[in-house]
Amino acid sequence: MTSALSKIGVCAALATLVSACAPANETDAPASNAPGSLTFVSLNPCLDALLVELAASDRILALSHYSQRPGGSRIDPSRLGEFSFTGGTAEEILALEPDVVLASVFLAPATRSALERSGVRIEAFDSPRTVADSVAQLERMGDLAGNPDGAAALARAIETPLWLSEATDANRPNPSVLLWQPGQIVAGQETLIAQLIREEGFTSQAAELGLAQADYVTLEGVLNDPPDLLLVAGNSAGQSHPALSALTQTQVHAFDPQLFNCGGASVLDARRELHAVRASFEAPQP
Amino acid sequence: MSRASLIFAGLLALLLPLSLLAGRVWIDPFAGTPSAPNATLILVELRLPRALLAVAIGAGLGAAGAAMQGYLRNPLADPGLFGIAPTAALGAVASFWVGGLLPPALAAWSLPAFALMGAGLAMALLTLIAGRSLSDGASGSGGGIALFTLAGLMIASLAGALTALAITMAPNAFALSQIVLWLNGAITDRSWNEVWIAAPLVIVGIGVLVVAARSLDALTLGEEAALSLGVDPQRLLWLLIAGVGLTVGASVAVAGIIGFVGLIVPHLVRPLTDRLPSSLIGPSALAGACLVLIADSAVRVLPLVTELRLGIALSLIGAPFFLWLLLKMRRGDMS
Amino acid sequence: MNVLEAQNISVERGGRRVVRALSAALEPGTMTAICGPNGAGKSSLLLALAGLLPTAEGAVSLGQRALESYPAAERARKVGYLPQGADVAWDVSVESLVALGRHPHGDARGAGRDAIATALAATQMEAFRSRPVSQLSGGEKARALLARVLAGEPDWILADEPLAALDLAHQLRLIGHLRSRADAGQGVVIVLHDLALAMNHADRVLVLDEGALAADGAPEEALDPAVVSRVWGVEARWLGEQGARALVARG
Repeated sequence: MTSALSKIGVCAALATLVSACAPANETDAPASNAPGSLTFVSLNPCLDALLVELAASDRILALSHYSQRPGGSRIDPSRLGEFSFTGGTAEEILALEPDVVLASVFLAPATRSALERSGVRIEAFDSPRTVADSVAQLERMGDLAGNPDGAAALARAIETPLWLSEATDANRPNPSVLLWQPGQIVAGQETLIAQLIREEGFTSQAAELGLAQADYVTLEGVLNDPPDLLLVAGNSAGQSHPALSALTQTQVHAFDPQLFNCGGASVLDARRELHAVRASFEAPQP
Repeated sequence: MSRASLIFAGLLALLLPLSLLAGRVWIDPFAGTPSAPNATLILVELRLPRALLAVAIGAGLGAAGAAMQGYLRNPLADPGLFGIAPTAALGAVASFWVGGLLPPALAAWSLPAFALMGAGLAMALLTLIAGRSLSDGASGSGGGIALFTLAGLMIASLAGALTALAITMAPNAFALSQIVLWLNGAITDRSWNEVWIAAPLVIVGIGVLVVAARSLDALTLGEEAALSLGVDPQRLLWLLIAGVGLTVGASVAVAGIIGFVGLIVPHLVRPLTDRLPSSLIGPSALAGACLVLIADSAVRVLPLVTELRLGIALSLIGAPFFLWLLLKMRRGDMS
Repeated sequence: MNVLEAQNISVERGGRRVVRALSAALEPGTMTAICGPNGAGKSSLLLALAGLLPTAEGAVSLGQRALESYPAAERARKVGYLPQGADVAWDVSVESLVALGRHPHGDARGAGRDAIATALAATQMEAFRSRPVSQLSGGEKARALLARVLAGEPDWILADEPLAALDLAHQLRLIGHLRSRADAGQGVVIVLHDLALAMNHADRVLVLDEGALAADGAPEEALDPAVVSRVWGVEARWLGEQGARALVARG
């Protein structure tokens, strides 16, 4: 009873801002607009990049504030001027009157319920844990944006391992690699980046050591049991320690955290980066 | 060398090699050939600079604590009271914002550089205020030092508020957690670079405090008596600002905020001395080095998933100790 | 030689004029008491005489030379000052406390040792030399603090109410120590609340009233019942003989 009352209250209060109080239940919301004509607000930098890839820019009412900064998402910095950005509060979103709000499943519950009460359609996306997840996500976004062909083309591109495409010698070594993420943790095996590392012809040292998602790896641990390749994606004191450059058995590469946080075109970027790392590893050492 | 200095120097000489054994990887000191891959690298590039950094930070904070307690004539005083540590921290937090804009070669140095700039700013502000508060104090109220300390506290709260502001406006969640983590000081995985930054500043800072020591002794009898003994209050205050600024600023620059060392250490040392500030500063430097080295060795071997932050560990020891001090003072068997 | 002289000095504290146009030349080898009601400016005058409080007008001179022009250490070697109260921040031993008196000389661990020993002897504190200050009685602590001033071997000893909070026997003992310093040729200036002590032990008394000199002279004249009545606002009468007088006062 009270929630119904408060819902009416919110609707009344927002009546001046929003032209109409739509029904509260998102699943009942009629797809009043044809595919390709929906308007979007995105609240997550990964979804920002996906949306920019697949939707026309005049359909994008706002992207998340994270993408505002060059390098904040995968979006080409030269295109940032085309977009507006939102801090992500319900009030800002409602004022934009989007057809669909794209958000992570971790959208703050208060914001989510405020949007739901106001009848805004929310499409929540989970982080992809496999390439297949990412493909499914792409297709879902392609359908929303009215661009299934674009999505399908991108999906084909990210599905194909670069390594296998040129693997002529079955005996090429699989160097061990440790991806050292921000905070000196490792990715678990059930993650997109772990799949990419496997598919691009590496063995994961974290898997061999039995480390799980977000296990902490000390600098001493790295030095004590050095992998063939160390991909450093963080900048803690240990990850930028001069001792790393003194390692003789290990190649150390910087690895952009953007490459393993998102699905979509980032997957292709990650494959290319891993491929380049591999090439430099296989190149004769000076 | 006094008895207290000998005791803590001996303890330090014992602890320093022992601390090299502490770590996640066991390195057998008696094995002829290295017992672990990169054992030499781990010892020389990781554990040795870390141990020396613990010594430098502990020595600086211990000496600064002894000097501050002498200056404020109060056993509960802490080097943090001048507001230098929070201002240095503010500088460091600013570097999280600016660091991204700098070329990578400079970015690595931006944090200590900004922290030192913050400490320098606090020292400049304190010096400006000092000129006023002491000349007012000399006009008779005798409250020069108290006024000045309040000014220091105001600087500390302002810096704290600005730091909180910087945190709430962090560019992304990752930067935010980095800032918050950094504020709880630690010397995990520090290198020789940090030693070269901190050690010279700490040495100079302790030297400055030693120069101030005899004047601090005279303060034992109160501000007017010290004045009558020929102490120049302005000079004394400048020495204190410089000494505390250098030692505390250097330690924040390389390790973040590490509290309670300056508060605790003089109390450990005092019973072994004649209790005058001049006989406390040297031994407090040595005892501070021991305390931080012990605490840092402990966090290295504690079986936790990630390392316990040194700043947190010392606060866990320090806060109950502080409470005990307060209760002891209440009983009145303390001076 | 080392005459300590206030030449028409005025002193301000906290924006208030607490000493007004006061002149007095004090001779070494004498003990001068500064008396007056609460708030008359006694402590301020003593601080100004010690060179620790700047004068708004006039100047204090020592041996014909402005006290202000002395370097701090030299002034400190010549003028010893004992503040009111027994404020010792750290629980030091008596010997360490007394050694602080050598601060202006910087020789507490060298040549100053004799002076420290002499000061301990002069105040009969030798037996207490290694005792912590916290374990001293009020009288012992007052003597230790006086010994601190004596250890500096100053020409002048300026003490602000050194007898406050002491019992009768300790008061007499401490003023006896000060008396013997004056007899030995040092100049002694003490702020005293107890008029009888001033009357019986001082060579000269300065009576202050609202910052101005109300009387100045030998105790019998300066503390004449008429002066006491006027300045303190009480009816006063001295009993006994010179050198052993007692005061009877009625409000």
